Amino acid sequence: MSRGVVLRGLLGAALLIGGWELCVWAFSLPQWILPPPSGILATTWSARAALLPAAAMTAYEALSGYAIGAALGIALAMILALATPLRALLLPMVVAVNSVPVAAYAPLALLWFGTGALSKIIMVAFIVGFTVFLNALDGLTRVDPAAVSLLRSFGAGRLRVLWVLRLPSALPAIATGLRISTVRAMIVTLVTEMLGSQLGLGWTIFQAVLLIDFLQVWAAILVASIISLVFFGVVSAIERRVVFWR
Amino acid sequence: MLRAALPILLLFALWEAAVIGLAIDPFYLPSIRVVAAAMQAQAPFYLDAYLVTLSEAALGFAMGGLVGVGSALLFTRLPVVKDMVLPIFIVSQTVPVIAFGAIVVLWFGNTLMAKAAIAFYLTFFPVTINTLAGIAAVDPRQVALLRSFGARQGAIMRKLLLPSALPRIFTALRLSASLALAGAIVGEWFGATRGVGAMLLAAMFNEQIVSLWASILVAAAVGGTLFAAVALAERAMVFWREEL
Repeated sequence: MSRGVVLRGLLGAALLIGGWELCVWAFSLPQWILPPPSGILATTWSARAALLPAAAMTAYEALSGYAIGAALGIALAMILALATPLRALLLPMVVAVNSVPVAAYAPLALLWFGTGALSKIIMVAFIVGFTVFLNALDGLTRVDPAAVSLLRSFGAGRLRVLWVLRLPSALPAIATGLRISTVRAMIVTLVTEMLGSQLGLGWTIFQAVLLIDFLQVWAAILVASIISLVFFGVVSAIERRVVFWR
Repeated sequence: MLRAALPILLLFALWEAAVIGLAIDPFYLPSIRVVAAAMQAQAPFYLDAYLVTLSEAALGFAMGGLVGVGSALLFTRLPVVKDMVLPIFIVSQTVPVIAFGAIVVLWFGNTLMAKAAIAFYLTFFPVTINTLAGIAAVDPRQVALLRSFGARQGAIMRKLLLPSALPRIFTALRLSASLALAGAIVGEWFGATRGVGAMLLAAMFNEQIVSLWASILVAAAVGGTLFAAVALAERAMVFWREEL
């Protein structure tokens, strides 16, 4: 990315925030329509005692679910990459289950696993697992058939082909799945928390909406966005290191 | 049609077989026949939820699709604006946008517009990004050729850039169909009385597992309807795809 593009991007962001602040003051917009960025920052700071534990809980749920889901998704994709007949049977069903939005399954998870952290972790693992699984399977099966035949002709078994050929060539696809999943993990955590929990940013948002505390909603969104950005940034940085040839 | 229905039927068969074979506690998974009977018994109720949520999601989805394509065309004409706005778009994709649903409900109250607005902004970003990618992938020599024949910017846009970007636009639309639905459902959680989201919430609070599963099936039906609409439009508009 050239310096000019970066500069224009920064200029755009500065204009957005500056214009927002200015609009609020110029039209003296009431807080329920749009609080000024400075007000959101001030509220975030003054409510830090309540927001920090909520943020820690949300981050904990999102990260644990992410780790479990990623491991399961990759493992399942590797199994199905080896077992072709099973794949033809299972894949359409996986796609059908996945086409219902998460928001519809979330109440089920709450009923089954309670309002604690477990229901959120399971929901996140479920969604991240699906995303990573579909990406990984796509990468694992989209290899050059000639390369597979070559390896096989030298006496390599299915497992060996998986390890030396399929897995390395699937890495970019797996990494993409892992990167997209960071944002999804945060969204699912927040959405499930909104339905019911004892602690977490989603719960903070839901409570603040019911109490019509607009600044608190914006503050919680700000904190959630920062967590999400950091999470996304870290995973992207790891991706660039591991999939260096991209 | 049959190819789409087969996995669903298989899933239902597997569901029923698991319930009977493994003797699953109905609290976790009630028999599909029980769920179907409950849906039939209260058919008008579920149909109402289906229609309410479908109209919210479809309205927001349609607006999001149009504005998404429109802003991508605008960005193509004005690269400076694109450089200034696109990074914000991309960063905004990494934040949990659905949380803004709460604010939208605060703005619009419990109206159809509120849920449509959430569905709108969830649809709008992916469509913009994909349209831009589709336009960027057009061979510049084709543009140069048209221009050498005296085609104006508008004609190039209409006859070359937009048609070439169509496959990618539809990819984005298929992806956003379920996002728009998720947006509508979450929007209904903030105090709505009608719609799939409200039904899910009521079933959860009353611990009615059968109506919860029925609501999930209704959500799947709404998603399927949106998806089918996109697929039909794609077949009509991207008729040359099979030849590629």
